[in-house]
Formats: sequence, structure tokens, C-alpha cells
Amino acid sequence: MFVMVLLSLILMGAAGGEVSYDERPSLEEQTSALRKRLASLERERDFLLFQKAMYSTDSKYLIMNFTRRTGQLKYKNRVLMDFRFKTSGKYPGRGPQPGMVVLSKKKEGKNDQHTLAFGGSFIMHWKRSDVPTKDAGMQAISLPKKDMLSIYYAMEEGALAYVIH
Amino acid sequence: MQPQRRRITVKELLSKHGRVRSGNNNVSNVRTYSSHARSSAPLSVSLVVALFVAFSVSPSSWAGTTSTPPSIEELRGQVTALQQQAAELEEENKGLRKFLAAQEDAHMYIVVDTESNRLLLRRGNIVLHTAVCGTGSRQFIESETGTNWYFETPMGSFTVLGKERNPVWIRPDWSYVEENMPVPAENDPDRLVRGVLGKYALLLGNGYKIHGTKWTDLLGTHFTHGCISLGDDDLEVVYKSAQLGTKVYLY
Repeated sequence: MFVMVLLSLILMGAAGGEVSYDERPSLEEQTSALRKRLASLERERDFLLFQKAMYSTDSKYLIMNFTRRTGQLKYKNRVLMDFRFKTSGKYPGRGPQPGMVVLSKKKEGKNDQHTLAFGGSFIMHWKRSDVPTKDAGMQAISLPKKDMLSIYYAMEEGALAYVIH
Repeated sequence: MQPQRRRITVKELLSKHGRVRSGNNNVSNVRTYSSHARSSAPLSVSLVVALFVAFSVSPSSWAGTTSTPPSIEELRGQVTALQQQAAELEEENKGLRKFLAAQEDAHMYIVVDTESNRLLLRRGNIVLHTAVCGTGSRQFIESETGTNWYFETPMGSFTVLGKERNPVWIRPDWSYVEENMPVPAENDPDRLVRGVLGKYALLLGNGYKIHGTKWTDLLGTHFTHGCISLGDDDLEVVYKSAQLGTKVYLY
């Protein structure tokens, strides 16, 4: 056994003698930290580019912060409305992926129970019961009725929202 | 939970190195080895095991695999390249932030939510004042001559074009039609009515205004003919805060 271990060590040393194992962990750590930093900077750039693009369009749009559970309805660089929302208990995670989403469907329900669907990302409503079954797997968020109706009538299908965390 | 130790039979090992024919199924007497097993294997077996272990874990054995870890030099190069990318992105983001900051407007603006009948005075993220207002009734009337009107508050971006104290209401045709009265001539002095628009008015163009009302009980509902109505106190605040050129966003 001793011979085996000794030979292993000798062979390992002979095969890779030029590698400095002191520096490798530190470099790997730096690489990992830099990759995370780059990902964060890229997210920030995307959000800034989105805002810049929206400044030159004539559409209202939403900024949805799923960490704070707050949203803003904006037009160009002006805030028109602030609102708070609740995420559904069934999907209590961090919410949809950060980035731009499109208002894909406006659904008018009975007694003002309207819903807004943002692609496969999330749906917005003021009463859970109106969430269509086929969308039940998506993150659903609920707002006070007044806020929901204001947003419903302010936004057209094809309007944009941006999810941040 | 303890990690499961990997046990390698000599048969497996030799088979791997082509020493045992694959057809040999007699494994009952084959000894097994594990890292904690006391070894009494012959030297030849030890050598084979040593060679196997060494080539399994030594860096030179990585060369032939697809997931070759980078060398120290490559890692140093990666760190430098990533640092450069990060610096470039930081610079780009700085430029974008600067652009957006330049578009920021420190001026107050007015926002009217025609669905919930709320008026806000805002400066960016700060709400300076909130008021309950009245907006267009969304009702339709038609005169006997076939002229019709739809009372809706317009949506979009507007500008305060004028400010009036003690505004005079020039009664439009629909006001007479609504009350089943004959419509007078355009310059008929009967059309000039004082006191019904409150003390102040902000002119938004096309006859649309932010003004006061006698019907304060109806504030918070859709009851106007398209203008935005406010109670006296709120109207005074809005009037005194707004300047000519103040932006008004109706949605």
C-alpha cells in the first residue's frame, strides 16, 4: 500500500509539476466573482437600455419590482402611478425572470374582474378567482381593485413591462 | 449523510486494462479493495492501482478529456479579460445613466387617472399632492338635428396653456341640448355663465380645463363633460403649483 501511495505521488508530481496550486484557487475565485459582477452589470445595462428606449416611445409601460412587490406605471421618464401588489401564495418564490415582458392578453371579466397576462411570465388581477385555469401555473399577482382597473385601461395589448428584482 | 465509498474489484481494474477476458464471469473469489480496506495485494496489483490512480487524478491525464481545466496562464488571461469586460460595461452603464439623468425633469407635473378619478401633483418619484377629481361621464347625447356628443376626458400628454382666475363658462351647444333648451346664437350673452367653474381654471386646449365645480358630492365619479373637476381646496393647490407649460398626463 505504501508503495502504491508513493508511486501515485511520484507520478502525479511528474505529470503536472509546472502547475502552481497556490494561485489556482485564488484565480478561480476571482473569475467566479468577475462573472457574477458581469452578469449583474449586464442586467443593469439591459434595464437602462429599456428605459432609454421607452423614453423615445409614446407608450405607457410598467416597472415591476418583485423583491419589493411594488410597481410603477410610467410614460417616458414620468411616473404616472405607484402601486403595491401581492404575489400568489402558490408561487412564493422570487417571481418571474428579470427582463422585458409583453402584455400579451387583456381579459375582461365579469364585475370588473379583469386580468392582464404578460406572456408566460405573470398575470395581474385583483381577484384570484378570475385567473384562467390554463394560466394557473404562472406567477399571479394581485392588486387593489382601483389600481388594477387603472392599469387595465391605461395599457394596450403589446405594451411592455420590465421585471426587476 | 456519508459519501458512498467506491469499491473497485481487481477484475474490473484488470478488465479495464485488458488483462481479463470479458467472458470470464467467475468473480466469486475476486478480492475487493476500498480506501479503508487493509491491503495485502501483490506488488503487481499495487503497481497497476498506483498507475490507475495517478493517471486518473494527475493534470496530464486531463489533456485527453473534453472538460480540461484551464492552466494558470489561461486563468490569469480570463481574469484580465473579464476585468476589461466589466470595465467596459461599467463605462457603458455610466453613459446610459447619464443620458437618463439628463432627461430627468425637476419640474412638477400633473397626472390624472381617469379610471379611479385621482389627480396627483408629482415631481419624479415624489407625490406632492393627491386629490379626488371628477372626469368625463362617458355618456352620449344627440340633438334633434342629429349632432351628437360623447363626454369623455381625453387621454394623453397635455400642457397647461393658460391660467384663469374666476373663469367664465361659455355654455356650449350640448349644455342646452342636455336641458332640452333651444340653442342660442354663438355670441349670445346668455352663454356666458359666471361662478360655475370655481375660482380658478387651468386651460389644456380644445376647451378642456381643470376647474372647480358646484357638484362636489360627485367628485370621485365620472360626471363631467370631459373637463377635470376639483374641489375648491385642491383646485387652489393645483392652480398655485402649476405654471404655464406644466405637463399634464391624462390616462
